[in-house]
Amino acid sequence: MINILAVGFAAVLAASAPAFAQRAPIKVGTIFPLSGGAGPDGQSVTNGVKLALEQINEAGGLLGRKLVLISKDDESTPAVGVSRANELIAEKVDVAIEGWNSPVTLAMQPILARAGVLDITAVSKADLILAGQSNPLAIRINSSNGFDAAVIAKYVAETLKAKKVAFLTQNDAYGNGFQSTVEAEFKKLNFAGEVVLTEKFAFRDTDFRVQLTNIKAANPDAVIVTSASNSSGLPATIEQYRQADIKAPFVGAVGIMLPTVFKIAGDANNGVVSADIYFWNLPPFATIPENVSFVAAYKKAHGVEPDKSAALGAAALQVWARAVEATRSLDRKTVAEAIRGKSIKGTLFGDATFLPNGQLQPRYVVFKVVDGKNAKFEALQ
Amino acid sequence: MTDSLPHRPLSMLRAVVVAALIGVAFFLPQLFGGSSVAYSTLTTIALFAVMCYGVDVVLSYLGEVSLGHTVFWAIGGYVAALMSVHLGVNGWVTALATIGLSVAAATFLGLVTLRTREFVFSLVTYAAAVVTHEIAFNWDAVGGSDGTVGIPALKLPLGFFTYVGGTQEELWPIAFALLLLTLFFVARFRRSRLGTTALMVHMNPALATSLGVDQRRVRLAVFVISAPITALAGWLYAYQRAYVGPDMFEAYFLVMMLTAVVLVGRRILLGPLLGTAVLIIQQNLLSLGGDWNKVILGFVLAAVLIFWPAGLMGLVDHMRQRWLRKTRTNGRENKRSYMEEVQ
Repeated sequence: MINILAVGFAAVLAASAPAFAQRAPIKVGTIFPLSGGAGPDGQSVTNGVKLALEQINEAGGLLGRKLVLISKDDESTPAVGVSRANELIAEKVDVAIEGWNSPVTLAMQPILARAGVLDITAVSKADLILAGQSNPLAIRINSSNGFDAAVIAKYVAETLKAKKVAFLTQNDAYGNGFQSTVEAEFKKLNFAGEVVLTEKFAFRDTDFRVQLTNIKAANPDAVIVTSASNSSGLPATIEQYRQADIKAPFVGAVGIMLPTVFKIAGDANNGVVSADIYFWNLPPFATIPENVSFVAAYKKAHGVEPDKSAALGAAALQVWARAVEATRSLDRKTVAEAIRGKSIKGTLFGDATFLPNGQLQPRYVVFKVVDGKNAKFEALQ
Repeated sequence: MTDSLPHRPLSMLRAVVVAALIGVAFFLPQLFGGSSVAYSTLTTIALFAVMCYGVDVVLSYLGEVSLGHTVFWAIGGYVAALMSVHLGVNGWVTALATIGLSVAAATFLGLVTLRTREFVFSLVTYAAAVVTHEIAFNWDAVGGSDGTVGIPALKLPLGFFTYVGGTQEELWPIAFALLLLTLFFVARFRRSRLGTTALMVHMNPALATSLGVDQRRVRLAVFVISAPITALAGWLYAYQRAYVGPDMFEAYFLVMMLTAVVLVGRRILLGPLLGTAVLIIQQNLLSLGGDWNKVILGFVLAAVLIFWPAGLMGLVDHMRQRWLRKTRTNGRENKRSYMEEVQ
């Protein structure tokens, strides 16, 4: 349905704009969850890609050609994602921007790589995505767990100067992986303090009072909380943390303070410290011209300011488009090599610098919540 | 001698027709345009159909709903993934290991569930799937929640040369061969002593007991032979996707297995294949979006189970009987025969 609309839309535009009509459009494919629990998030990323794409078209297109978007829904299911990846391959897209859930990305990567389609992962965070086994030319926009852990470890060790640290960790690959990386970073920083307690919970848990009682008894200087359950478990943790009257700062892992947490836990969020890689109105982003124009266009189109998901989608498209422009090529290898290990100017993240393994070097903003009900916070540092 | 003579041309004709249909089926991807989507869709249909036949054998001939066949499906996937990535062995070795391990797992699960029937059987098999899922999800040695990446192309050494299944086009002949083998196996099973005895145990346990049939042995045997069918589908799926993770335990596959079997009707040789084809084609080519697909799938499944428990073939039969009743006068007899078929 969306394909037909996109093609029809392109046909109408091509007919009315003779400059575009001369050459076939460049096809951009996206695969994100558009239905189910992660549907709103995936739609947000897709909207970001779409808006950045429209901005490029308005400025005259790419290599003199128009961009068209082909958007697919992976339903958060790896098997469905694979089918959608095959569909994009059949449509002969020039780039695929994908990935909200790591397993879905890991399943799609080899399919796209074998077909020679350039693949940019916007959000999925698993380390395996950049390991090179399934896609030797992988590129990722969202921050990696390693960087996330480093910024949290640095804040706790150097800014808070904590002596006793407690962990409240989600018991799965995400939570345990994050904790062990934070501990490794502590070692690198020659952290003088110690980890006094580790409490674990399951992703679906909503009652954390036993763990919080133990934490209170251990009397730590900082509590590092890792939780991916932003619509139930995490807001419950924050409320119960306040009820338990724990005085130590609540330090949330990177990227967990999403709008649902503010909506549910409200003012209990006040004082929570966390970090993230994009805020439309905080420095350094507030002064980047590409970001300013993107925020204005996004607000006009959707009535709200863009969140991190939308920014990641837009950045993925911008990075790819700048690299295509610079190399004047759509070849997978040529474009990927112009991104991996290089710096790309003119994105909404400013100058986007990529590591040799394809990971975008993130810029963190460490923040403290000051008005939880209205999701207002101030940047620290 | 003289009795069998008139049948001969007929069975010859039948064999020729079947062979011709198989030949045409093999070239279906080309008939649908030969694009990579045609190949990948048909390979996926063949593969998922094989997966469903394992459940079909248990559901159609024991009358039990196994919710644990995702375990065998995942065994195939994990064996192929882990052995080919860490040991670098070829496809024959991983296939043999898949068969061995799935038979062992099915024997264990079969013995555990030997005394259970219906609801309890479903519940215990489901519990087995949940437990195995948790283990696979949390055990780093098998990939944990991230799974295993970098599965190499399927290699099948055939003595003088090695068949390599890397692309969808190369995997299609293997998926097709596996489907044919499965159909042949299930067709033989239906006519075998075990198949007919299993049906008797399912339909008329009292009769089976009076004939001295050891019901537990029959149930165990059927459950055990069903496992490698589903497991081999998982084995090939690992090579097709080049990634195996705990999502192989997800409801997506379980729902696919059960729906494909009941949609067309039980005890119909091509039923699961047609059911799988309908489901995959709807998802891939006539999709209404993730949420609506699930709503419609649930609605269709509920409608079929409530109104036509014998599946879509039951509905076709029902229509035919109605039509016959209209044209004939003795409607009562026909109605009764329909009721018998439904039950």
